[in-house]
Amino acid sequence: MRSRTLRRVKVKTPGGETKVHFRLRKPAHAKCAVCKNPLKGTPRARPVDLQNMPKTQKRPERPFGGVLCSSCSRKKIKNSV
Amino acid sequence: MFEIGRVCVKLAGRDSNKKCIIVDLIDDKIVLIDGQTRRRKCNVKHLEPTAEVVKIKKNASASDVIKVFKDIGIEVKPTKPKTSTTRPKKQKVKREKTEAQDKTKKSEAKAVKKEKVESTKQTSKASLSSAREQQTSKASLSSAREQPKVAKTPAEKAPVKKDAVKPAPAKTEK
Repeated sequence: MRSRTLRRVKVKTPGGETKVHFRLRKPAHAKCAVCKNPLKGTPRARPVDLQNMPKTQKRPERPFGGVLCSSCSRKKIKNSV
Repeated sequence: MFEIGRVCVKLAGRDSNKKCIIVDLIDDKIVLIDGQTRRRKCNVKHLEPTAEVVKIKKNASASDVIKVFKDIGIEVKPTKPKTSTTRPKKQKVKREKTEAQDKTKKSEAKAVKKEKVESTKQTSKASLSSAREQQTSKASLSSAREQPKVAKTPAEKAPVKKDAVKPAPAKTEK
């Protein structure tokens, strides 16, 4: 299999042989809507895993959490005052 | 800038974008705040001061702060200190069934199933049409419940739906 959509993982079998298994790749990190830096506090997980996660594990508990990075959200609040 | 009574907006944390008053100066960098935010210490870097200054005593209580906010025009709800409690365990309600009741229920269910299978085998068209009637009546009833203002009987609705969905069988039935 030459396609690189799946990643190759070497697995050791109980018989002692190493065989290649194919696993799905994780999606890319979520990015800040303004500065495009990777967001912190957000997991890199496939949609199925995200569905079963509690809401608090998917984004920081803060206004604009999961959308803007902390510095961008502070700038936005400063400009609105 | 950062004096007692200065109205500020908090920049960081889970109560960011909320208004607060400086109640006490602890340090040249740290300040005690209260208002829409929780009553706690806060770094001056995490506050954005506004143009308003309010008259308030040093170390004012939470109720005084709520009064001051009313004069500005912001409603602040008083909060009680939260105490952690254990989660109540779910208790299953056990229904006491006798063995005789179980057996009769099972036999009844089996008899009903047999009847259904026989009826479907005998007449296919008639059963299908009856099933569709039931479906449309059920759907019309459910839609009637959702829109109580619309005063239509389910009988009136059923033929209209049949025409829209399946024209061929409607003709044969009529």
